[in-house]
Amino acid sequence: MTQPFRLGEGGMIDRTQPLSFRFNNTSYQGYVGDTVASALLANGVHHVARSIKYHRPRGIIASGPEDPSALLTVMDAHGTTPNLKATEIPLRAGLEVVSQNHWPSLQRDAGAMLQAGSKLLSAGFYYKSFMWPKDAWHRYYERIIRRMAGHGEADISPDPALYDKRNIHCDILVVGTGPAGLAAAKTAARGGATTVIVEQDHRLGGTYLSGDASDRDIPQDAEQEFRTLSNVTLLARTQAFGIYDHGTVMAVQSRSGSAARAIMWKIRARRILLASGAIEKPLVFPGNDRPGILLAGAARSYVRRYAVKLGNRAVLAIACREDRAATRRALQDAGIEIAAELGDGDTLLGTTGRARLKGVTLRRSNGQRERLACDLLCVSGGWSAAPHLFAHAGGNLAWRDGLGLVPQGAHPLIAPVGGARGTFDTATARNEGRAAAHQAMGELLMHVPMPSNLPSPVPPARDVIASGHGKAFVDLQNDVTRTDIAQAVHEGYDDIELVKRYTTLGMGTDQGKASWVNGIEEIARVIGQDATDIGHTTFRPPYSPVTIGALVGAETGRNMHPIRRTPFHRAFERANSVFQTSGDWLYSRYFPQENEDMSTAITREVNAVRNGLGCVDMSTLGKIDITGPDALEFLSRVYCNNFATIKPGRLRYGLMLREDGIVFDDGTIACLTPDHFLITATTANAGSVWRHLQKLAQVEWPNLDIHLTDVTSHWASLAIAGPYARELMQALRPDFDATREAFPFAAVRDGTLGDDLPVRAFSVSFSGELSYELNVPAGYADALFNRVMAAGAKWNITPYGLESLDVLRIEKGHLSIGTEIDGRRTPFDLGLGRMVSDKKDFLGKALLTRPALQAPDRPQLVGLKPLDRTQAIPPGGHLTHEALTGSVQKICGNLTAAVHSPTLGHSIALAFLVNGQARVGETLWVVSPLAETSVEVEVVAPHFYDPDGARLHV
Amino acid sequence: MQHHTKYSGFSLARHALSGHRHWPRILPDCDLRPSYDIVIIGGGGHGLATAYYLATKHEFSNVAVFESGWLGGGNTARNTAIVRSDYLLDASFGLKHLALDLWADLSQELNFNLMYSPRGYVDLAHSDGELEQFTLRANAMNLRGAKADILDLEALKTRVPQLALGDDDRFPIAGALVQERGGVVRHDAVAWGFARKAAAAGVHIFQNCPVTGFDIREGQLAGIQTALGNVDCGQAMISVAGASAKLANLAGFQLPVTPVNVQAFVTEPVKPVLDCVVNYNAGLSYVSQTDKGELVLGGATDGIHSTARRGTFNAIEDTLARATQMFPFLTRLRLMRHWSGTADMTMDGNAIVGDTPVGGLKINAGWGYAGFKATPAVGHEMAALLAGGQTTDLLKPFSLDRFETGALIDDAGIGPYPWLH
Amino acid sequence: MLLIPCPNCGARDQSEFAYGGLRAPLPPLDASIGDWHTAVHLRSGEMPVREELWYHACGCERWIVVSRNLTTHEFAPKDAS
Repeated sequence: MTQPFRLGEGGMIDRTQPLSFRFNNTSYQGYVGDTVASALLANGVHHVARSIKYHRPRGIIASGPEDPSALLTVMDAHGTTPNLKATEIPLRAGLEVVSQNHWPSLQRDAGAMLQAGSKLLSAGFYYKSFMWPKDAWHRYYERIIRRMAGHGEADISPDPALYDKRNIHCDILVVGTGPAGLAAAKTAARGGATTVIVEQDHRLGGTYLSGDASDRDIPQDAEQEFRTLSNVTLLARTQAFGIYDHGTVMAVQSRSGSAARAIMWKIRARRILLASGAIEKPLVFPGNDRPGILLAGAARSYVRRYAVKLGNRAVLAIACREDRAATRRALQDAGIEIAAELGDGDTLLGTTGRARLKGVTLRRSNGQRERLACDLLCVSGGWSAAPHLFAHAGGNLAWRDGLGLVPQGAHPLIAPVGGARGTFDTATARNEGRAAAHQAMGELLMHVPMPSNLPSPVPPARDVIASGHGKAFVDLQNDVTRTDIAQAVHEGYDDIELVKRYTTLGMGTDQGKASWVNGIEEIARVIGQDATDIGHTTFRPPYSPVTIGALVGAETGRNMHPIRRTPFHRAFERANSVFQTSGDWLYSRYFPQENEDMSTAITREVNAVRNGLGCVDMSTLGKIDITGPDALEFLSRVYCNNFATIKPGRLRYGLMLREDGIVFDDGTIACLTPDHFLITATTANAGSVWRHLQKLAQVEWPNLDIHLTDVTSHWASLAIAGPYARELMQALRPDFDATREAFPFAAVRDGTLGDDLPVRAFSVSFSGELSYELNVPAGYADALFNRVMAAGAKWNITPYGLESLDVLRIEKGHLSIGTEIDGRRTPFDLGLGRMVSDKKDFLGKALLTRPALQAPDRPQLVGLKPLDRTQAIPPGGHLTHEALTGSVQKICGNLTAAVHSPTLGHSIALAFLVNGQARVGETLWVVSPLAETSVEVEVVAPHFYDPDGARLHV
Repeated sequence: MQHHTKYSGFSLARHALSGHRHWPRILPDCDLRPSYDIVIIGGGGHGLATAYYLATKHEFSNVAVFESGWLGGGNTARNTAIVRSDYLLDASFGLKHLALDLWADLSQELNFNLMYSPRGYVDLAHSDGELEQFTLRANAMNLRGAKADILDLEALKTRVPQLALGDDDRFPIAGALVQERGGVVRHDAVAWGFARKAAAAGVHIFQNCPVTGFDIREGQLAGIQTALGNVDCGQAMISVAGASAKLANLAGFQLPVTPVNVQAFVTEPVKPVLDCVVNYNAGLSYVSQTDKGELVLGGATDGIHSTARRGTFNAIEDTLARATQMFPFLTRLRLMRHWSGTADMTMDGNAIVGDTPVGGLKINAGWGYAGFKATPAVGHEMAALLAGGQTTDLLKPFSLDRFETGALIDDAGIGPYPWLH
Repeated sequence: MLLIPCPNCGARDQSEFAYGGLRAPLPPLDASIGDWHTAVHLRSGEMPVREELWYHACGCERWIVVSRNLTTHEFAPKDAS
């Protein structure tokens, strides 16, 4: 017989749409509208889990995300997802779910033997043990404990699901659609405010849904109204999991059966009405964790909303009399016999049953003991406000008996209403929702804060149902008992934060929703203080665990970060370039011809540049345009070298220091006119140099009359380099005189190539050969490349990439960001001390004179050549006084670069060596323990090729 | 006099018989003395470790620790618990490597299971150029006697099989540096372990007792004002992380330190899926798995100054996006909790340890997000300094005056911009 | 994410800006080492409201100086000046 515990009528399930699903390989049936929890209960399945530490049988106690125990693994088209709560999984056709963390099965779990040793497994037992022998923790104990810990198994196959992120702005965000939330939402929506409504359940209604039929109509009517209003966005199955700065609320919407499995909503709200309701408090008594024990509100929900008969014979232990009456009515309507109802002064002594509750032992207030057979126990210690988001936003909470932790004081952006502030009466909650919405709209219209005049909530009358002695669970997920808490306090872990960490109370996937309030009361009892004085731990997002996929959205794989391509990218693709990711950019690395490996390609490219003609992309360099009468003065302050006599049409190399004297960046300073300069910065620092100059111009020296423009992306820049560079330059038909005398080294010319291609040409060289950097407006990159390749064909022009560029610059001893210029060097360290001007003031001058920056025993840049020219200096090696000894050795320097030089025919390296400039000619060793290599080297000046620069002036 | 019980499997069994009702308190109650030889301000890992070594290695037990909140409740309770010493610069390496040596024996020494798990720290490189720089670092470590290796892609695939190493990566991985002695330690236990032994050796530890002022006479420390009362003392150490500038202000000097927010995250607990610590370098993100099964993730700081102890959301997205690059299966798992702490960051990103302008007052500050791993070494060396009056070789580079002299220790070469470190 | 009150563009999301740290005006270029050391390195530690710099990179491209409470992240209302 299918669904033996399903009521024949009533409920918000659709009996015309039965669904089949499997739990632990057994087939069951449920209906559209069910959760996995309600469907299992309708089939009489209560035992769905084993607890993490003691492997006790556990059932379903709640009907929402506050359930601490019913964790299941779902297998579907997305793969295997562990740790989902049965109460939160909507039933779908073909759903396959299994229970977790037991062996060999849920029913017969070897882990249950741990209960026999439970006395040893007290709070913090692992801190007191597993220390012998030494190293045994990591080698043995840890492995075993790790296998036993953890709930479900993670699926490590790639996740085929799609995720997305959306943004939305609104006047008013309403979180929750119970009585308070729905009233607030209706008020805001009808009032014309742009309103976003989020509800974590798949239906609106909150506690309305566990009421009677007329209650359940209210949210359905409201939903229809919302869907007609254009100023309302309604998001169901959407959990607002945290509030961040300035009215930002993050929410995750679950969507099964649609393209994106989960969507994160970033909601920027001007006002937030927090109607997140309240959570029911379980009772703490011996044996309070058996399957068949449910929270009273959840019991009503299963009966009313899901039409489930939870058992045959029930006992009620419910502190609030109204809740008790409502529960009684619901169970009776479901045909469940009520064996007993506990009230004020009664004591719960224990329960019996293993995989299902069999009976309850209690003692009446008159002292009489009773033993009752039952298969359902509905418990409630009352309700506690759930104001978590209010706390995320920095709001204060205060303890109030009978209400839990309630919001205290006003918050400029967030108004808690209803259960979230401790108001558990439906009519009052509705009024609060309405009032808060009116107030919020008033504030938004009038731009003045309005004091809230909501009355302080009054705790409902509660009977006190006491607990006997014995193993009573406070946190069901982490198996934390009353004894554990007492032990922690007695051992001196008596601050609430220490209790939490020592016992792990509230640190499970339910984050203490159904345990923290009881925990506070327990701690207070043991310490002998008032719960008000105990405080509480910090409420942190997310309210309930959120799928990481939604927090990443579509920013997976290549889409994590934008890729920047240079204007020559397509042209280089056609030229067979191999590309390399570096920072934001995709660079050309080298251009292999047929069957070439990288090393062969580099050799060919380097030789081409040294002996013929090459071209390389320089577009990524930062380029900043500076105009104004104070342009030269500005630049003079920014660079450490003196170029006061620079003439229009000329350029200089510039070294820029940080304000503390350390080298920041290098580049060229080109003078176009006395009021117009163009500077370059390295690719890596293009952004930071731009911001740095802007800051100096706008904030530090606003009196200078200058204007800065970032033209980095405006220009495509291709350098042509090699002995035939001038010939090519002329072959491109510039409209300016490009002879050696008219366009010498270190100059800049504006003009046109071939009558139609605007160009700004710089005669600069990073490679050390005769070279021109041709800048054209970025959209003309293809045109320039085509012309250069066509005109350069007669000299066999060779495109080259970063790898060859690096070899060329190392041969010349030019500096590179990240290797030599690494944020720790002074100009003197780099051998550029002569550039530091003593004729002017510049940024960094004062702090550059700090004694440790001038010391002679600083590491200084040198070159290295192997004594045996056939040996290769190992990259990443260090300078030492002897070859590798296999033990500790004193390091006197480190390499920044080591390559084979095709031009010189042997390996070369650049390095920082303590007091290096005074040690040219010395012999040292470069050692690399990883490569097991030692190479004897001679220290030379860091300019291996053409140190006098003759090649630049041919 | 507090009865001090040795923790062990045997004592656990013995106490089990009496329902665990008779374990002694880890910290005995103590009354404030009118004076102490040495006062330690800050009851986090560093302060408690210093107190422990003072009392047990140097026989200074007339020592008080004042903690403004609950024991270890600052950054000791909030970090991602990673220990390693894979640093290039000598100064950065030295203290952290001493710490690794000390971590190895500390559980036994403190008789408190710190769960030191040297499961391997894997630092990913995103290009051949970066791998070459890692080679430099690994070589430096090896030459100093610390083992480190470089893994190429094949070796990395074997070491961390779940790592995604494909063409779809935004910042493809070229290899990694691995320090097998690196790993994790249970952070809470560190504070408790040091506190218990220090207290057993006679140190007075006061919780919920903030220091409110200093009594300084002619540039020398004479006493400390606390919420519980004033005490005379001639030597003290400030070790309060995010509150460093505040304490320095009280003592009348400024520090080159500003606060930044650092966040950390845990997923729901799952069965073992990652057996080492992995770090992603293209924008920071690192992952490890606790012994309870949660995956712990951390990343770069939020990049802004803050003492809110509550992070900005974009930093969360950045960290998780990078973690997902490494382990795409993370998208199915759920984030259970995220939290923050205030990291005091200095102008070169490295700590300030040693003398202050006030005679007798020492500072231990500016550890940023790198303090936890150095905990026992800082305690060990600071105790030597406080007891003997001499700055040890390992501590010398971290002096406050290095910003005036220019002897900076800037691991990443970032400069005087604390929010970027 | 912070909503930053750009005086030119209005309240804009943090993602449009680059952060520039606490406001610490640079001394004149010819000032002493001591003055430069103080300005570049030392910070008063005063809490919780501090002046700081943000660069509106995806907006007006101006550096703005604002006052923010570093503990609550609230921005101070604009001065009359």
